[in-house]
Amino acid sequence: MSSSKSWVTSHNPDANNIFAIAGVVIKELYRRKDFYVLFALVVLITVMLGSLNFFNDDSIVRYLKDACLLLIWLFSLVIAITTTARQIPAERESRTIYPLLAKPVGRGEFVVGKFLGCWLACGIALLAFYFFFGLLSASREHTFPLLVYFQAIWLHWMCLGIVVALALLGSVVFAAPSSNATICFIVVLGILFAGGHLNGVALQIPGFRGQLVYAIYFAIPHLEWYDVREWIIHNWGLVDWLAWTGASIYAVLYTGMLLGCTWLVFRRRKLTL
Amino acid sequence: MIRLVMVLLFVCCMTLATVLDPSFQRLHNRENASASVLVALMGDSRRLFAHEFFAKADAYFHSGFYPTIFDTQPPGSESDLKEESHAKPAGAAPHEEEHSFLGAPKDCFDRFGRHFYPTVHTHLHGGNEREMLPWLKLSADLDPHEIDTYLTASYWLRTSLNKPAEAEQFLRQGLRANPDSFALLLELGRIYLDNRKNPRVARNIFLQARQKWRQQDAAGDKPDPHAYEEILGEMVRADRAQGDVKAQIADLEDLINVARGKEVLQRQLDDLKAKLGEPKP
Repeated sequence: MSSSKSWVTSHNPDANNIFAIAGVVIKELYRRKDFYVLFALVVLITVMLGSLNFFNDDSIVRYLKDACLLLIWLFSLVIAITTTARQIPAERESRTIYPLLAKPVGRGEFVVGKFLGCWLACGIALLAFYFFFGLLSASREHTFPLLVYFQAIWLHWMCLGIVVALALLGSVVFAAPSSNATICFIVVLGILFAGGHLNGVALQIPGFRGQLVYAIYFAIPHLEWYDVREWIIHNWGLVDWLAWTGASIYAVLYTGMLLGCTWLVFRRRKLTL
Repeated sequence: MIRLVMVLLFVCCMTLATVLDPSFQRLHNRENASASVLVALMGDSRRLFAHEFFAKADAYFHSGFYPTIFDTQPPGSESDLKEESHAKPAGAAPHEEEHSFLGAPKDCFDRFGRHFYPTVHTHLHGGNEREMLPWLKLSADLDPHEIDTYLTASYWLRTSLNKPAEAEQFLRQGLRANPDSFALLLELGRIYLDNRKNPRVARNIFLQARQKWRQQDAAGDKPDPHAYEEILGEMVRADRAQGDVKAQIADLEDLINVARGKEVLQRQLDDLKAKLGEPKP
């Protein structure tokens, strides 16, 4: 009986363990200087751009919103990928992973905890970034479309969820955090730039190769859906709520799939260096 | 010994600074210093960036509804931004004709993805045209020889945004880089004719533009014949605004020689000649 109870205890994920691991990751974000440096860069570059004078017109704002959002996207990806890519390798290198997994914390809990920590850390960073963006935009446009910003932050955060899960999978597949981060950057930027156009490319390629490209188009995570910068910059209003919900569900499913793959690889991985 | 060497090095540095400083000052004070730095740093690639920035301005003009490098456009199609600023008279309303490079959705993902980016063809209006000006300014800074950039910016500045002073300043910047451009002079003349209500100065500028066009034509450069027609047309407008019927007749005769709609112009000419009491040809 006692052995059966211990089996249940060790295999049912414990929310306390997950949140404890996530809490450590969030603390790491505000202890490290990365976020502060990137936030200061966003502010500095945007303010410098804002000080430029174009034809004596102070109400020009869209180029500023464009630049600020580009920096926010770029830096949020940097935070998400670099923070996630070093999590598991750092634990292994400092050997803190052994007492952690011996607590007992299941490997599934460990993976979910790390994911949650990185994802929440990204969410906190996004809140700070978008708060600054909102202030900047309001200072010139004299409006603060809260719902539009909420949709944008949410979609951005969902996108980062997929990116974090991808980087976490990379951290158990690739040997070094640097190679993982580089590959993740290339994949994510590639999808953001060309992912949505692969179907058009596939239609121009005849035969099996075209079908293969089309299959890749359906298989990749469509991160470009979550990039609603044009929507915000040009004040198109709210994104259709149904599409917004659909994109959120897609992100949750894709993130779940990637986390499942991470767990499958990680649960049989030898942790000795 | 080491101290002596250090002092010697310090003195050398100070001497060098006194020699080099004036040269650097001259370099910084030169009017085209920033342009020289850009040329040195970027070479011909700045033209590529200039073109990209112009495309960005066009994308802003369409509020983000703009083809990417993956989208196909009909061959020979000119950007709406250029067409708008070249062909239409001042104050004309933007066309609302719906045409899309997107086509029908290719699959369910494509259909779904269209909820997250602009898919409606619109043009900026009501003063919002100002939003594309930073990109046009950057484009002109990177490639000062791209005439269309000056013309487009000036058109919006003098019409919707009612900033003729800024338009003139920008055009004069363009003229410094392109002193032989009749198109820039034509646009400058329009500022004097339409915004400053000074037809005398406007006509002088149009005369200069006509002279530049003819010089280029004589040199075999094949300048745009439509531009010549426009210059003569503006000269006629300037004459009319001045009330100078004789000059108007002379310019109309020039215009009739090159214009496509000759009948209307001929009627105008006959009316003017009748006013002066001259016999019809």
